[in-house]
Amino acid sequence: MTDEGRYMGIEGPRARVERCVSRGLARITAQALGPYQTAIVRIGFGAAWLFFLLREWPHRQELYGPDSPWTWGLARQLIDTNDAFTVLMWSSSNSWFQLVYVVAIAAAAAVLLGWHTRASTVLFMVGVLSLQNRSVFMGDGGDNIIHLMSMYLVFTRCAQVWSLDARRTRRFRERRKAATERAGEPGGEQLAGRPDAVERPDTAGYPDTAGRPDAVGVAAVAGSAGVGGVVLWTVFGAVLVGSSVAGGFSIGWALFYWALWAVHGLWWVVNRAAVRGGTAVRELRDVCDILANLAHNGVLLVIMIEVCLVYSTAGWFKIQGSRWQDGTAVYYPMNLDYFTPWPELSHLLAGNGVMVFLVTYGTVATQVAFPFTLLNRRAKNVLLAFMITEHLSIAVLLGLPFFSLAMIAADAVFLPTAFLVWAGRHCAAFGGRVRGLLPGGHPGEPRPAPEGAAHEAAPKVSA
Amino acid sequence: MEPAAQQAPGGEGMRGIAALSLPARIFVAIAVAVVTVGIAFHVAMVFLQTAPDNTISKRHGELVDSYVYPEFERNWKLFAPNPLQQNVAVHARATVAKHDGTTETTGWVNLSAMDGEAIHGNPAPSHTQQNELRRAWEFYVDNHDEKGKPLGLRGRLSEQYIKRIVMRRFGPELNGGSVERIQVRSAVTPVAPPRWSDERYDVKTRYTTQPWWQVTSADLPGGGK
Repeated sequence: MTDEGRYMGIEGPRARVERCVSRGLARITAQALGPYQTAIVRIGFGAAWLFFLLREWPHRQELYGPDSPWTWGLARQLIDTNDAFTVLMWSSSNSWFQLVYVVAIAAAAAVLLGWHTRASTVLFMVGVLSLQNRSVFMGDGGDNIIHLMSMYLVFTRCAQVWSLDARRTRRFRERRKAATERAGEPGGEQLAGRPDAVERPDTAGYPDTAGRPDAVGVAAVAGSAGVGGVVLWTVFGAVLVGSSVAGGFSIGWALFYWALWAVHGLWWVVNRAAVRGGTAVRELRDVCDILANLAHNGVLLVIMIEVCLVYSTAGWFKIQGSRWQDGTAVYYPMNLDYFTPWPELSHLLAGNGVMVFLVTYGTVATQVAFPFTLLNRRAKNVLLAFMITEHLSIAVLLGLPFFSLAMIAADAVFLPTAFLVWAGRHCAAFGGRVRGLLPGGHPGEPRPAPEGAAHEAAPKVSA
Repeated sequence: MEPAAQQAPGGEGMRGIAALSLPARIFVAIAVAVVTVGIAFHVAMVFLQTAPDNTISKRHGELVDSYVYPEFERNWKLFAPNPLQQNVAVHARATVAKHDGTTETTGWVNLSAMDGEAIHGNPAPSHTQQNELRRAWEFYVDNHDEKGKPLGLRGRLSEQYIKRIVMRRFGPELNGGSVERIQVRSAVTPVAPPRWSDERYDVKTRYTTQPWWQVTSADLPGGGK
């Protein structure tokens, strides 16, 4: 605590509480917290569902098609009793199913890449819920966590970094800045002089994390949605009208989708209006921004609590289990025919009593302790590394790669920012090197090439 | 690339709210309250669904269920309280009508072993191999009494589901005749105790045989639409 803080302390506990509350309030309204964490969660779940759908491509008919062993008719009877949401119940035709499957793949890819994320997360959720609820008995724990997270992701600003949206906004900003500077407008100088308008390429703009009126940021949000965003919004509107008229939604789901659609449209309109509009419009835009941050931060908290619940309840239940108490629990899954793709390896590991004991006790201790280690950064990171390692070994040993990928993606919400930034930088550098090696590839982001390189790249001209 | 958390310290946001007009601030305050209550409610519901039965969940069980199901359900417990300690295999056999008018009952076919073979050496087993029959059988057992009588709608659905899974694997023609009836049984074999433990128990396979089921065209692949 600084000297200033200590002097403030003299004001008494009430002032301190007030200061804490207002600072906390400012934090949760001004920014969408954890930009890297939410981005890695988005990428992780997008990848898990995308790879799963691609892997099951040859089996898609058997899993979710109209003539699956769990037929459309059987699903119809079950869904009539529980009102689960699935667009696959709209029609029993095969082409409708094929379309939904392909759109689900596209949505997963869009979420992974962060392409028009606000819209694609909704489509992602529709895809996940539709396919999984169509055939509930085909899924496992991995599907279940993807199901939960697909709904949570809709409310997060998870494309602030590592996304095509962030790149598009950055480029929009750069073009805009270059244009204003060239034109020599007074506004341009003013903007160029503001450090936040220039030096925050990744966090500025869509969604605007600057958290305060920023002419370029607002313009970037308004402009960067681009034609693609408008087209997507219009198409979704048409689909919503059609399916509402045809009675495809329950009242609850209809309200939910229409509300989302209206909010997305409103956000676009408000941002465009705020570029030239007066104080009132700007304030409206700021309030919308604050609401979006609130929703994001609230749901981020829910995601974190959900992950803690997964582990702590699993841990608590395990403590009651006799096999976890006598230290043999881990031995049994390694001897189940359905979970031993590599029996020799599993039996080798299960044959070592001391190791089985250590992993069994270690698992319970980790799961029970995990929520409490969040109070201490270092302890949390150690346990996180342990749990991710355990899930990696589950992926191989028990033949559950998609389950493990989903669990690791959920764990990733607790990864430290410094690590994520470091990993991101190395991935970018690696990607740049790979692109440089490819024929016709250019390393890294498009930046002005050195003159010599430009000549070499155009031998015909120089000859 | 610096984290946004470090770039926009709380102070700026405070100005952000403070700069708003009074109505806007009231609106934001209401929103904060709504979001807070909403999160608390959601977390409480999800917690009560996953926690063991307790005083609160017994009293508000209906509310919890109506909120959590079907979309917020959490249905797996990561091998808790105990991991499965037995291999459950599903076997099936059929009565086929031969073209010469005679009928024949086939031997038992271990359908789970076929799944096992597909999983063996497979780094990414399909849900059709790892979950389909395994979970269908759990569904069936959960919704049938000990005598094999279906319990309600779910019981009847699970029966049709099992029939269709079996017929998909048998096909309409088997052993040179058309399949008329099928029968399934479960073969439950406890996992042998670890070599390094002094525990000893019987690992004999126990069979539970279900009644014969008549096969209709709706049970065949292509008959589901």
